[in-house]
Amino acid sequence: MSKEMEVINGVKIDKILVSVLQRRFKSITQEMSHAITRTTRSPILCEAKDFVTGLYDGKGKMLEQTENLPILSFSLGPVCEYIVNYFGEEIYPGDVIFHNDVFSMGNQNNDVAVYKPIFFDGKLVAWSACKGHQADIGGAVAGGYNPNATEVWQEALRIPPVKVYEKGKLRKDVWDLIFANIRYDIVREDLTAQIGSCTLAERRMIDLVSKYGLAVFEAHKEYLYNSTELMMKAEIRTIPKGVYTGESTVYYDGRNPGSTYKIRTKITVNDEDITFDFSETDAQTSGFVNGTFTSSASAVILTFLQMVNPDIPHNDGMSRPIKMIIPEGTILNASYPAATTFGNHLCPATADAIIRALAPVIPERVTAGWNNLLCGLVNGIDPRKHAPFVDIIFLGMKGGSGGTYGFDGYDHIGMIDASGGVLAQDYEMFEQQDPHLLYKHEYLIDSAGAGQWRGGLGVETEFSLDGEKMNVITFGDGDVEPAFGVFGGKEGTLNIIELRYPDGKVHVPLSKELVYNVPKGTIWYQQAGGGGGYGDPKLRPVEKVLKDVKNEVVSVEKAREDYGVVIDPETLTVDKKATAELRAARQ
Amino acid sequence: MKYRIGIDVGGTFTDFLLAFEDGTSRIYKVLSTPDDPSIGLMTGLSEMAKDQNLPLKDFLQQVETIVHGTTVTTNAVLTYNGAKTGLLTTLGVRDALEMRRGIREEQYNNRYTNVEPLAPRYLRRPVKERLNYAGEVVIPIDMSTVDEAIDIFIKEGVEAVAVCFMNSFANKEHEEMAAKVVRERMPDTYLTVSSTLLPSIRFYDRVSTTVLNSYSGPILRRYLRSLVKRLEEAGFTGTLLIMQSNGGVVSPQVAEERAGVTLLSGPAAGPVAGITYTSINGFNDCLTVDMGGTSFDAALIKNQTPLVTSEGEINRLRLALPMLDIVTIGAGGGSIGWIDEGGLLRMGPQSAGSKPGPACYDIGGELPACTDADLVLGYLDADFFAGGRMKLNYDKAAKAIDEHLAKKLKFDMLEAAAGMYNVINVNMAAGVREVTVKKGEDPRDYPLVVAGGAGPNHACMIALELEIPVIIIPKESSIFCAAGMLMSDLKHDYVRTYPVALKQLDREKFTRLFKEMADEGTEDLRKENIPRERVEYFYSLDMRYTKQYHEVNVNISEADVYAFNLENIAEEFHKLHNLLYGYSLENEGTPIEILNMRVTCIGRTEKPRFIEEKYAGEDPSGAFKRYRKAYLPSKREFADVPVFDGAKLLYGNRVAGPAIVEQVNTSAFITAEYSLIVDRYGSFMVFLKDREQEFAGRIFNE
Repeated sequence: MSKEMEVINGVKIDKILVSVLQRRFKSITQEMSHAITRTTRSPILCEAKDFVTGLYDGKGKMLEQTENLPILSFSLGPVCEYIVNYFGEEIYPGDVIFHNDVFSMGNQNNDVAVYKPIFFDGKLVAWSACKGHQADIGGAVAGGYNPNATEVWQEALRIPPVKVYEKGKLRKDVWDLIFANIRYDIVREDLTAQIGSCTLAERRMIDLVSKYGLAVFEAHKEYLYNSTELMMKAEIRTIPKGVYTGESTVYYDGRNPGSTYKIRTKITVNDEDITFDFSETDAQTSGFVNGTFTSSASAVILTFLQMVNPDIPHNDGMSRPIKMIIPEGTILNASYPAATTFGNHLCPATADAIIRALAPVIPERVTAGWNNLLCGLVNGIDPRKHAPFVDIIFLGMKGGSGGTYGFDGYDHIGMIDASGGVLAQDYEMFEQQDPHLLYKHEYLIDSAGAGQWRGGLGVETEFSLDGEKMNVITFGDGDVEPAFGVFGGKEGTLNIIELRYPDGKVHVPLSKELVYNVPKGTIWYQQAGGGGGYGDPKLRPVEKVLKDVKNEVVSVEKAREDYGVVIDPETLTVDKKATAELRAARQ
Repeated sequence: MKYRIGIDVGGTFTDFLLAFEDGTSRIYKVLSTPDDPSIGLMTGLSEMAKDQNLPLKDFLQQVETIVHGTTVTTNAVLTYNGAKTGLLTTLGVRDALEMRRGIREEQYNNRYTNVEPLAPRYLRRPVKERLNYAGEVVIPIDMSTVDEAIDIFIKEGVEAVAVCFMNSFANKEHEEMAAKVVRERMPDTYLTVSSTLLPSIRFYDRVSTTVLNSYSGPILRRYLRSLVKRLEEAGFTGTLLIMQSNGGVVSPQVAEERAGVTLLSGPAAGPVAGITYTSINGFNDCLTVDMGGTSFDAALIKNQTPLVTSEGEINRLRLALPMLDIVTIGAGGGSIGWIDEGGLLRMGPQSAGSKPGPACYDIGGELPACTDADLVLGYLDADFFAGGRMKLNYDKAAKAIDEHLAKKLKFDMLEAAAGMYNVINVNMAAGVREVTVKKGEDPRDYPLVVAGGAGPNHACMIALELEIPVIIIPKESSIFCAAGMLMSDLKHDYVRTYPVALKQLDREKFTRLFKEMADEGTEDLRKENIPRERVEYFYSLDMRYTKQYHEVNVNISEADVYAFNLENIAEEFHKLHNLLYGYSLENEGTPIEILNMRVTCIGRTEKPRFIEEKYAGEDPSGAFKRYRKAYLPSKREFADVPVFDGAKLLYGNRVAGPAIVEQVNTSAFITAEYSLIVDRYGSFMVFLKDREQEFAGRIFNE
């Protein structure tokens, strides 16, 4: 028995138990996620999974998360720490705390978090928490996303941490105050479901700590953090040391047509840490196109996590070697009391800047540009049920991801903020729940940026809006600049939304616009663009190009122009000679 | 003499249980023949005939029933060797199948590609037609578009067709019009119509399931027809039944039409067997685990009923047919040990399989596998593996563990082996937790029924990790699924979508739909020679609070259905919602809605009987073989452990752990915390020593 036994706080570390705990934390957060999916009302939560669940230690440090939507994910921990400090000694078993405030580490007003402290032997040992995008959060516009907002109060009800239950008892007055300021009943029901999921996690964690004892739990948790930190440091060491810069452009702030803003990042890679510095980024806007610290930090982490080993556990140790400088007053971290609802959607541009900075350094680990998000929200009255409805059109917004070394981009995946964690509505449920009739939802031919590894395909969507008293809100980007290609790959296609009114007129909303009184029978037409290509398209194997042509996702013309592959449109066979000549001529 | 035979075709072995009229039975195992599984199957039958001193023909003429589990459909899907499949679908949504609603299961992995669709895009052809959410015609079907699509299918040599239109769960007319033309123009082509196979809401679920059915259908049809022919030619005149994923069996004719019901049938007989072995000892509930070479299956059974889910998938493809809720993880005798970047020891999911095999097999494998650890820790006898048919190489196992794990961990070889043993046990315990804890069930409330060749060596440690007090190792544990097949009933599931508020439920429609499904079941079972008096009906509703998107499947009694007792039905729903999700809205008075109505019809088959053995006293010394050094995990040291011959242990014999019990196809390690008593049917009951009184009572008093 020659091994050196590691000891933390007098507890001998059992490495096996470390693995056991890590898995158990994960499965608890998955169980929470499952419960929320099964019980919530808003299709934004139960169909699209626009939420995240997590466990935190007694100090608010992340133990594990299930991140359906990563852009929400790296706010829960900082808010947890904020709550621990805010309530101090006055945290009791049976408390339930709500939070959404973007000026105390929240990421977006609509993303409301529920926290439940977990006690063992009278000691605060952990927290269960979840955060979901609510169907409404008060403010001037149903469903949030008020492009005319210039201050937070025009956007939302602010919920700095507030106890809705104390010692197991509902604070009815506080509860009623909150829901008196929110339009739809389903929000109350959805937050009730979120509390349910935290209760499940609380039961599981108490069982777990009882089983192993508090000292063992604490020591092994620390060991887990440390071992995860080592994994992340090992990943960082594989990136050449140096300072790298990249930038990207945000188009239109919702108030000044034609306006643009730059996101600039300076990435410093050291031996065992990496710093993302956004000091040179443009100042905040006067509208709602502004980030919060945690929405921007989430964007950085989720982009970087895609460049390292995907098996690294997500806990406090993972983020220790990642440093961030996001100065207040920039578009990525707006000062109080700015409007910020758009902040999550600065993620694609933030990711673009990071990818551009690191592409020359770790070319095999970056992707080409992802399709940026352009999304819409519809609210109104469903005449079949005489009831209000609101839905985010997830199925229209999912474009393609960028190609990467050795692999095509992912078709119809949607924004990098979610990276395929958010789902398109099921068509039949969409038509049951909202007054819409879907005419088209298919891959968009020639949308993928050409490349040796092409971008993911974009999607074309068409459906009728058959509600009454409807308003449409658009929010997003990608209608000016498409997803970029890398290393000779070509760019993807642009995002487009059109409202085709019954009288024949067509309205093309700006990328951030509130359209009132949309008439019944209007057709929603949308293209979500494809991702950028990676590498020279002429190097793409001919049979792959032929397969795409046969499947009608690349046209015969595009095959010739971009890929130099000549295909007979009748027989769908490759003209080998012409192809060889064309490919040679382009070298 | 009349015989009944259960046959389970696995990846490496085909297992048989031959049951005799007097209730006794005999185990057979032959090597599987993946190219044509019926060859291995016939080999096994020939061995049986020989042992009965009968020509194959005479033997088969006395076989009443053969129940057969097959993985031909599973393998076809996993290896993409199914039929060339064309999809007829509503204009505008032909990519739903491939898009899978836009999920990327590994969000942070940009090299994680989408799963290849079973019908490529150029064979997913649009039909101009449209029904709205209520099934009303918005665009009448344009039959010329059906013909155009069929032209392409014929030209491309399509072997199977799937038809799935939007909202067809509410009105099947358009699908049937299209199907009629397919039948006329492509008469020999396998056809699946979504509104017949699965008339329930959720388009992606339905289109994916329909295509899976068509993709795997022709292969199953070919296989079953050739098998039936082979059996008939060899003299078999009895009944052949096929295992389904839902734990029931069906006739080959029904299986042919609904090939999708066999897609996850591999482990489905396990829970059925589990019920039988626990109920004879007076338990209503149990956990079954089956640890083979590469995978570990776990399932939960409550009230002698295995849990069923409609949320399954195969190879990331949605399969929305009811199936037993079985969790499968990559843990088995072949699981390979490795060190991750953080320096932690991991086991699996990669497996050495049967080729190159664990290092100790000495047939080329160099990486340390679970079996290697079991060997060096003393749980396996190098000279008695598979009853001595295969000699294990201790030095190769030790070298693999030392080089690949121990040196990196700075452990000695045996410590690393002990670590491997622990980690894989924890992984398997996590699999058990998936089917219990994750569903709010406490694993400590259930006896653990252990099966599979590798299972009994790990059972005590899995049970300890979960604090499970009782383990049952059935006599037939190494061929558990084949045994389970003989215990399975005929089973059909039916569903109708009827979205309505519970309070606005139309009594006439409600009872009519239920009755319609029950009648359909009666008729289907009649065709399979099950008389009405042996049919049982199980009713359930998919229910939710108003505006929820997902439902809870609530079992309701036949009496409540026909008495239209909505209050009882509501109460059952509130209770279940609370259990699963931590709250109910009973006090808030939130309205309840129903979405789907379901009926499961079960036709009871004749079961093998168990024969009671004579009480032989507590003393196990007649079965004692010798002492062997084995590792005791709780003491972290090696000790001399008594080894017993399982075949010689008799009813009432009591063996206190630590001990090893060897049988021809399996070996059980009883840790120091547990004791073993042989029950009256020859199975091993293993229980925590300090709760012996409680469980010994069950074995002897009843």
